[in-house]
Amino acid sequence: MKKRILVAILVVAMVASLAVVFAGCDNAPKTFNPDGVFKIGAIYINSQNDNSGYTYAHHTAIKKAMANLYLDEDRLAIVDNVPEEDDAVNAAIDTLVGQGCDLIIGISFGYINAMNNKAKEYPNVLFTHATGYMSNDTNFNNYFGRIYQARYLAGIAAGLKSLEIKNNKIGYVSAYTTAYAETASGINAFAMGAIAANPDAKVYVKKLGSWGNETMEKSLAEALIQEGCGVISQHCDSAQPQIAAQNAEVFGCGYNSDMTAQAPDAHLTATVWHWDVYYQKAILTAMGGMENFMEKMGKDYYAGLKEGLVGVSPLSKNCAAGTDKAIEAVSKLILSGEWDVFSGVKLSVDAQGKITKTNADLKDCNGNVIVEAGGKSVDDSVIKSTMNYLIEGVIGDYDIKE
Amino acid sequence: MTKQVDYSLKHRSEPLFRVSKRNGLEKWKIALLYVGAILVALTFGAILLLCLKVNPFKFYLDTFTLGLIGNAIPLKIISNFINSFVPLLITSLGLSLAFKMKFWNIGGEGQFIIGALVAASIGIGLGDKVNGFFLVILMCLLGGASAGIYGLITAVFKVKFGTNETLLTLMFNYIALYLLIFFGQTKAGWNILLDPNSDRPMFVQIPEAAKMWSFSVGGLTINTTLIIGIAIVVLLFFYYKKTKQGYEIAVVGDSHNTAKYAGMNVSKIILRTVFLSAFIVGLAGAFKVASSSFRLSEAITDDVGWTGIVVAWLAQLNPFGILLVSFLLAVLQFGITSSSASYSNLDANFADLLQGIILFVVLAVHFLINYKIVVNKTKINAKKMAELKAKGFEIIDLTISKNDKKSEIVSDESTALENSEVSEKTEALKITDAEGGNE
Repeated sequence: MKKRILVAILVVAMVASLAVVFAGCDNAPKTFNPDGVFKIGAIYINSQNDNSGYTYAHHTAIKKAMANLYLDEDRLAIVDNVPEEDDAVNAAIDTLVGQGCDLIIGISFGYINAMNNKAKEYPNVLFTHATGYMSNDTNFNNYFGRIYQARYLAGIAAGLKSLEIKNNKIGYVSAYTTAYAETASGINAFAMGAIAANPDAKVYVKKLGSWGNETMEKSLAEALIQEGCGVISQHCDSAQPQIAAQNAEVFGCGYNSDMTAQAPDAHLTATVWHWDVYYQKAILTAMGGMENFMEKMGKDYYAGLKEGLVGVSPLSKNCAAGTDKAIEAVSKLILSGEWDVFSGVKLSVDAQGKITKTNADLKDCNGNVIVEAGGKSVDDSVIKSTMNYLIEGVIGDYDIKE
Repeated sequence: MTKQVDYSLKHRSEPLFRVSKRNGLEKWKIALLYVGAILVALTFGAILLLCLKVNPFKFYLDTFTLGLIGNAIPLKIISNFINSFVPLLITSLGLSLAFKMKFWNIGGEGQFIIGALVAASIGIGLGDKVNGFFLVILMCLLGGASAGIYGLITAVFKVKFGTNETLLTLMFNYIALYLLIFFGQTKAGWNILLDPNSDRPMFVQIPEAAKMWSFSVGGLTINTTLIIGIAIVVLLFFYYKKTKQGYEIAVVGDSHNTAKYAGMNVSKIILRTVFLSAFIVGLAGAFKVASSSFRLSEAITDDVGWTGIVVAWLAQLNPFGILLVSFLLAVLQFGITSSSASYSNLDANFADLLQGIILFVVLAVHFLINYKIVVNKTKINAKKMAELKAKGFEIIDLTISKNDKKSEIVSDESTALENSEVSEKTEALKITDAEGGNE
């Protein structure tokens, strides 16, 4: 009986404490930032204390951009480990807005609807969303980039390595394949880069089914290695595929961050985002007032190698001789705007950096012509998320047409 | 007749300490011990926070006030908190029902997902065909019933084939999860769950008509399911205490044979209770879709199917206890998210860490409340044996000379064993010997 009374008292106490809190609250004030100190809020899919991968890349970039702008670290508030679930994202946004953030950065695609709704709810706060496609006219934009250009360059490194080790099989652990233009374009560009350096190269893809799952990432990489792949590339969050390559004494190309530290004897070069290029511009623009933000940043910010948003990490000692020359030569072509990946012009590059251009149809793995010989790049199929095919030379372990 | 002393017991089987049941600790002492346990855990957390150069007082203050102090939009924060608290509460209540019957339903995650999946399908499928009020009720009832049937499958296997329900309910979690992922990633004409306007596969929002009505108190939006959750607490309390079915659950939980002897239909009780347990968990899933998130997600459960198990046991399956414990755990989880936002070296994992420490200490206290540790001081050493021999005792091993019924077994003051206890122990010893094990 006493226990029941005790429980009852505690329940009453908890309701009472809530009531006290209610009583002390006013409705939302008109400005969320009364002291005028510009504050940034970030929502991460993984932990801010990660030491590699997607969240790590964004977190270090935001910190770098802030340091470049002489902003103290305490102007950054973070809610991390936020799953792609609307309740959780709404709560994270409210927490950050409640703490006075003026610019909310959401880094994962699945935050899209919650951010879109909250942008309407808080017209005085700016929202910017990585990898999304929604926006509005006043306070919500999205940003992404031509990561496929960097993937092509990493593909060259993998292709040259495959020539050196005389193993044409290249493995690729991918979060998804044709369901997302982001992953399809990554696989395609990487394969085209590898084929440019090694015409006999074949890229074997295994699908993860999520953006990150350390155990599965590792076992898929191991399966690819068992099937005889000598270089392992990846489009997933953690460094596990590279660690698997290191353990099996084969080679690999990481993603999101330089993974040489995790796999010192295996890693060649990683496809990386220089998100700080965007963040620095976005934070500076936002600090200048929210009126011009949409106009200056654009509803859909989309940049590539030229703007420095994407690139490859410094080449490691494991790269084949001449990788630097070959990558430099192709970079120049892309930077000058003379050539782009998904076009009807096929490159072939050797270890001296000598490029041979040939006009050839760009075909998908079922033989359909995507771009006719000599045709212009279908870059927009990546931007508009319509690229839903894998190109010739890519081999999946299941029905490739999802 | 020679006096004998049994040396076998002490010589070979008495461990340094043993655990025995403890009864009759006063209620206030128990409460104090639990509060003390939480304080010990928080102190431990404070040490970790100090190592990270975080002020533990400010951190805990922010945590236990949900970060409301100095917050610009406190009412929204409270609404969000309620949204994260209610699913945990209702799921824990549902699970406790099965646990009460000692049916280890760890399939809460799966049942929650089925409830949410069915509710969303009905909401989207019938959104423009049925009146909103009936639609919401239909979503919740069918969501709960589907989850109930999903749970019932495991119970049928248990009743018919004696399968291990722990394993089966666990595996059913993954079946449900991958079913949800399948619907979430398969773009096809028939898949009404996906947003047709998105090139990337993405769950669509349920239509306005399918959204559960919420009410507002002084600007604070309160999720209606909070009231339903508290109502379930009260209903379950009376179900256990006042109804025949509640009594049957308790009897079946104690012993299937007792229940059978009393003329109860054990299979029927198991099936009914597991259905009800899974129904309530599924209801939580349906509520989540209908009242707060309005959209499916692969992370829709927020792990309540797992956390609910912990809540149910910490509360010792008492419905009001579950209300309290789920509230406290929700405060901890939600509060740490907002209090750690402003520290760059603290991530949300700290909530799991602190929760783990608290659970560990509370369970240790729980053990100490129910059991005591008795240290054995009685040990005959070589010197004592020589002394006993000199006094004319014959040292025997009862396990060997057990046929010698005539000899009087005594114990001197140093062994302090009562006669009755000796014979009892001898019995025990025989059993252990027969099994070939040690005590």
